[in-house]
Amino acid sequence: MAEKVGVLTQYQPLRLNTHIGIGIPWDLDRNVGGVTILPPYERSKGSDWYTGTANAIYQNLEYMETYNPDYVLILSGDHIYKMDYEVMLEYHKANNADITVAAMPVPIEEASRFGILITDENNRITEFEEKPANPRSNLASMGIYIFSWKVLKEALVRMSDVPGCDFGKHIIPYCFESGNRVFAYEYNGYWKDVGTLSSYWEANMELIDIIPEFNLYEEYWKIYTKSDIIPPQYVSEEAVIDRSIIGEGTEIRGEVHNSVIGAGVLIKSGAVVNDSIIMRECVIGENTRISKAIIAENVIIGADCELGAGDFAPSKYDPKVYQFDLVTIGENSVIPDKVKVGKNTAIVGETRQEDYPDGELTSGDYIIKAGGMR
Amino acid sequence: MRAIGIVLAGGNSKRMRELSSKRAIAAMPIAGNYRSIDFALSNMTNSHIQNVAVLTQYNSRSLHLHLSSSKWWDFGRKQGGLVVFTPTITAESSDWYRGTADALFQNLIFLKNSHEPYVVIAAGDGIYKLDYGKVLEYHIEKKADITVVCTELPAGEDTTRFGIVKTNDDGRITDFEEKPMVASSNTVSCGIYVIRRRQLIELIERCAMEDRYDFVSDILVRYRNLKRIYAYRMDTYWRNIASVESYYTTNMDFLKPEVRDYFFRQYPDVYSKIDDLPPAKYNPGAAVRNSLISSGSIVNGVVENSVLFKKAYIGNNCVIRNSIILNDVYIGDNTVIENCIVESRDTIRANTTYIGTPDNIKIVIEKNERYTL
Repeated sequence: MAEKVGVLTQYQPLRLNTHIGIGIPWDLDRNVGGVTILPPYERSKGSDWYTGTANAIYQNLEYMETYNPDYVLILSGDHIYKMDYEVMLEYHKANNADITVAAMPVPIEEASRFGILITDENNRITEFEEKPANPRSNLASMGIYIFSWKVLKEALVRMSDVPGCDFGKHIIPYCFESGNRVFAYEYNGYWKDVGTLSSYWEANMELIDIIPEFNLYEEYWKIYTKSDIIPPQYVSEEAVIDRSIIGEGTEIRGEVHNSVIGAGVLIKSGAVVNDSIIMRECVIGENTRISKAIIAENVIIGADCELGAGDFAPSKYDPKVYQFDLVTIGENSVIPDKVKVGKNTAIVGETRQEDYPDGELTSGDYIIKAGGMR
Repeated sequence: MRAIGIVLAGGNSKRMRELSSKRAIAAMPIAGNYRSIDFALSNMTNSHIQNVAVLTQYNSRSLHLHLSSSKWWDFGRKQGGLVVFTPTITAESSDWYRGTADALFQNLIFLKNSHEPYVVIAAGDGIYKLDYGKVLEYHIEKKADITVVCTELPAGEDTTRFGIVKTNDDGRITDFEEKPMVASSNTVSCGIYVIRRRQLIELIERCAMEDRYDFVSDILVRYRNLKRIYAYRMDTYWRNIASVESYYTTNMDFLKPEVRDYFFRQYPDVYSKIDDLPPAKYNPGAAVRNSLISSGSIVNGVVENSVLFKKAYIGNNCVIRNSIILNDVYIGDNTVIENCIVESRDTIRANTTYIGTPDNIKIVIEKNERYTL
């Protein structure tokens, strides 16, 4: 079914572009179709960044025209779930719908954080409420849509002048008001939006439950990824590991508890990692202690450090994003030996001893250095 | 590259005992995430050989499954590719491959239709890294008819299951004894040959005419004085895995940091089929020491000095020591396994014990029903 996939990117595309490549890991290296990366581009009548989700798709109408599809499936890349889109499409066809919106029931007390759908007995949507104070339903939109192509095209063209054109805010309401058949497709499995630091951390931590709700070990519905690291992981004589999942090619010489460790990581002896996410190809130095951290790819942390020390303090950098205990370290960062880093902190770039007054970055503080990429 | 590649992966060996009863030796799992043939195929692709044929016949299904796509070794190119030839019934012949030379003879058309001037022939049961380009350079420099890659086995190792080679000072092979009763030297053939394509066709046709079928005894040994056969000495890691003991020790070698570093970290890489398995999982109760753990595994018990292949499940309170647990093995709670090789897809019941000795590794084959959540 979905053998022609376009990926819309704009913000820092290098990592995503290298990850996707020509789509081999997901079997999308097709003779016909396959995966296409769609960044914003310059055209004769000026050039614009993508100003909103729908605007991004409007700017790529040409891509879709070449395939002239019957239906278009629109997804967001920062959700974790397993869904057979084929079933949703069948449902779309059976209802003779113009738009089908995937929705899941949420606890009614949390419903006011979501776009809420109110439906009739046939699941046809009769009303939308964006983050209502007093929700009348608990069916929340998941940001997954199937459009019949004609309806989508018409709406995108009609709404093309709306600044920051967005699916949830503009396109769906427009289609709905112009009398299209909009249906809700109820989904009851595991679904998690990992668009915030704390939800990302929680989603990872849930994977290490003994039988997690989102089971990666299921035969029937595998999650594919790019894996160019093939060797098995090595656990040394002095290592201690429990309640953790660990990727390929990693060497563990220290202690790891309640953590998610990516591929190709080296955790040296004496290091202790608790409640953390460490992404691929990081190095954690001897006797370094880490708790509640999210450490992005290729980070090098020196010996005898302490990350996640002290008590919570509000972020001096961006209290909207950083509002949790987590130590966050951006990709390719370097942390020197013997420093102490407090809670709710952010570090990006190649830091040195002198960036840490008294060898410490206190809770809530941050170091953002230009040229974080090595 | 000026050579095509041929991987001889037909073999069975009684020395593999029960392990070869369901797969070709070339398909034996190695070091957690690899199969034996990955090493020869990776060497081919890393030496820029683009056109590779795998000749196989014995229990070839597992090998076919592993070679289901050529893209893992980067052979899926418009020029070149990976082909697998099993014996077929033709107008002229309905024989199995009666030996390595016969296998080549039955696929002579592949040799004839290639245009590369040289052929690299490699066995599928060697664990090593080698740039075949260097062997070819040596071959040309020595004006050799055939070049045989050789290695020195450590003193004391049993060499009687190998081809024993003696050379003169120039490196020309003066004596070649296949699997001698008493070995007179430590220099053994690695089963890797470089030869000019037309020369090979000529020798193979001659062999077939004389009803001779074996590349080693009917070509190397028979022609050793007639043709210029040279030894290329390889001094890096090389192991043949075609016996239970060597299979076990080769896997255990990967617990050594220098072996892991050589194969896993140093250029060039060894490639294998990608399975997209989830990361390995350590539940409370897991205690793992000095072991290799592959993806998709779930560990609830003690694992020491062992190699766990993909998707191994180790139950609560289990103790696994000095053992090799092959792919997709389920081990029930409270089970003890020491000095064993547990065959893939085994289901081991709870509360059982399997103990081998370091000198006599036990092969565990258990086909119980598996009930899992």
